[in-house]
Formats: sequence, C-alpha cells, structure tokens
Amino acid sequence: MTRPPTTRPPTTPLAPTTQPPAGIGFENVHVRLGETPVLRDVTVHLAARTTAVIGDNGSGKSTLARVAGGLVGASAGTVTGTVRVLGLDPQREADRLRERVAFVFSNPDTQIVMPTVAEDVALSLRSRRLPRAQKAALVDAALSRFGLSDLAGHGSHDLSGGQKQLLALCGAFVRDPELVIADEPTAYLDARNARRVAGHLLADTGHRLLVVTHDLALARRCEAAVLVADGRVAAVGDPADVVARYEASLRDEASGEIRAEVAPAGSRW
Amino acid sequence: MVTLYRAGTSIWHRLPAGPKAVLLAVVVLAVSVLPAAHWWVAGAAAAAALVCYGVPGIGMRCLREQLWATRWLLLVTAAGQLVLQGPRPAAVNTARVAAVITVAALLALTTRVTDLLDAIERALPPLQRLGVDPARAALLLSITLTAIPALARTAAAVREAQRARGIRGSLRLFIVPFLVGALKHADELGDALTARGIR
Repeated sequence: MTRPPTTRPPTTPLAPTTQPPAGIGFENVHVRLGETPVLRDVTVHLAARTTAVIGDNGSGKSTLARVAGGLVGASAGTVTGTVRVLGLDPQREADRLRERVAFVFSNPDTQIVMPTVAEDVALSLRSRRLPRAQKAALVDAALSRFGLSDLAGHGSHDLSGGQKQLLALCGAFVRDPELVIADEPTAYLDARNARRVAGHLLADTGHRLLVVTHDLALARRCEAAVLVADGRVAAVGDPADVVARYEASLRDEASGEIRAEVAPAGSRW
Repeated sequence: MVTLYRAGTSIWHRLPAGPKAVLLAVVVLAVSVLPAAHWWVAGAAAAAALVCYGVPGIGMRCLREQLWATRWLLLVTAAGQLVLQGPRPAAVNTARVAAVITVAALLALTTRVTDLLDAIERALPPLQRLGVDPARAALLLSITLTAIPALARTAAAVREAQRARGIRGSLRLFIVPFLVGALKHADELGDALTARGIR
C-alpha cells in the first residue's frame, strides 16, 4: 500500500524556523497526571521516519507517546508547553490529528472490539465517509496485507495472541495513517510474532513510526531513539548510541540511576 | 451469550434472527401473563418449554442443561414463594420463571452474534425519531458482548493468581483485583476506541 503523495494534506508548522514540518516536536513540555509530575521540561524534535522511545518502567515514555497522540485528555492530566505533531496541537486538535495518526497498544485484547475479524477492521473506517464497497475493498486489502484473509469470518476473540496483535495492526493500518504510535506493541508476544509485528511497523509504507519499547533489538532497528529517564529526555540520537547508553546504565547498578547526560535543548534528530 | 451459541440446523437455527426474536418474545410474554391462580398454568408453562425444545436438533438434553444452569435461581424463587405465598403460587411461578428463562435462552443458543446485531440494526431505525442512532446502539451492544470474554479472562486470571498464592474462595479478595482489572480494561478499551476515531 503506497500512498500517492497528493493525498497528504499540507502541514503548517507553527514555527517553521525551529521545527521540521510533519514531525513530532516537544518544547518545554511538562505533564502531570493528577498530582504526579510525569514529564518534566521535555524538549525534543523528531523528524526521523522511525523513532524508538526507550527507558525504565514508569520513566514517562508511554506518557510521551500518549501526549503526542492526544490521548492525555483534560480530565486525565495537565499538559503545559508546546507540542506539535504533524503540525497540529494534539491537545486542542485531537480529532483532526486522529484522522492522520493510528495507535497500537500492548494488550491486543483491549484493542479488539467487534465479534469477527473483518468487522473489527471495518470498525476503524466507521468515521470515514466512504462508499460501502470502497470500505470493503480497503478492509480486504488490509486483511491480506497482514495475512488475515483466511480468518476474516473468525471470532476475533478466538485468535491467538500473535494473530490478535496482527489484527490490531490491521485495524490501525487500514486507516492509512501518516503516523503510527505504538506503545510496547510486542510486549505480549513471543519472539516470532514480535519480529513479525516489528517488521510491519518498520516497513516503509509511507508512514512515520513512534514506538515505545523495551525490545532493544527493535529500538536498534529504528532510525532514531530517545531515552527517557525520570520524566526527562536523557539522550536522543542514533539508536546504537542511545541503546548503548541505556545498557551502560543497566550495568552501572551501583549508581542505580541513568545519568542524565541531557541532550542540548532543542536537540533534533 | 458469546459462548452460548451452538452450531446446528434445527428450525430455530434456520429462522432469521428478527422473526425468531419476536416469536420467542411472544411465547415468553404469553407465559408471563398467565394468572398464577390455577394449577394448569404450571403445566402450560412447562409445555411451552417442552414444545420449543422438542424440535429436532435441539432436544431435551439441552433443556436439562439450561435448567441445571439456572438451578440456584429457581431454588431461591421456589423457596421464597413457598414461604410467602403458599404451594400453588410457588409451583406455578417457578415453572413460569423456568420456562421464560429457557425459552429466551433459545435465541442466544441458536443465533450468531453478528446475525443478532444485524437484526437489531435493522429493527432500530424507527427509534431514530426518538434520537437513537441505530449504528451506535448496535456498536454499543457489540462492545458489551465482546467485553464478556475479556472480563471472564480477567476473572480467571485473578482466581489463578490467588490459587497460586494459596488464597481460596474469598469473595472480598476476589472482588477488588477483579474490579481493578475490569476498570483498567475499560480505560484501555476507551483509548483504543478513541484512537480508532470512534466518538
């Protein structure tokens, strides 16, 4: 599935001098969930096609991805600072952003809504104003791309864990997103299925990828990586360097912390 | 309901979902409105259930299973009525409740969920004048139905975790982790729906 370049709406970056268009930009972003500060003064610009976000449990990396996708609503937390994703503000223009961004979460069970496989994929096109036949064709194409054509009529909850996650991917990609945000998409999968899912996420089919992951092999396969530690960006850059820094901090158990060698403000990758 | 459906070729399986639902509703309603003052009503209720299950392809074994599944409810009904209203209302009402439950169960036993949802979506447009969006209502039902196996898995996981730690049969110790799991599921499901552009 390749997207003709003309279908992508033009993006209008807020500050074209400091920010690449169509990427993900955070400027002095603070996020609190309830009373707890989760992200503190995050400034990072990501223009690479595929970016991995790594770090410990509770470091704030999932929140970073959720803020970028506009999933941190007004009721759940407060976001201050400037966030721009594909030229849009995820907090104020969430509906417009979601038309162009797709999500994949770790638990396939909570992403599957409809009783059969094909119906579940079709659900993703519910909000699109398209003729019925065209929707059906898009669903068929997506099912065959993810190897699920033979399971189209199957009960979606009878699938194996790996098949369920492929179904979740199918539901995300059928919308032909410009950006896919995946929050630990391989966490529940065996090595074979993890590799299969990673392959689909990393394949260059005209989408960008922001993937939060504990799978350092997956992180190394991205074009850029961000290390989040204690709510701050501890490193950003070439995945090999960023992963090496994270691994060094794992070996350095005596200090118990990731040394915050903070990338210079406004760092870009 | 998701797991109730059994494939088959009986007359009930072959009936389209909409007319079947209406027919079964009529039987259920008829059994419900008969007066409790006569013994023959108990017989009529039992006869209704026997006729409905008596068709080829369903059978009495299925009826027995359904009755067995509702045994506690029937027992409580019978005991309560016996104490409060005497033997005849107790017998009549218990037979009636048993018949109503088993006859209604036929719908779930013989109809695929998707067929049922299609029927509902077709039947709802008259309600549009009352502000009901049929597609949305059918979606709500789908989500409810698919949530059942997910919640059953949560319940099984909680029980397993407790057994692994040697905790047995405490309702209080079951409820809290189950509710936490259920609410977490609801949160994640909400995110997944939002992310897929469903409002």
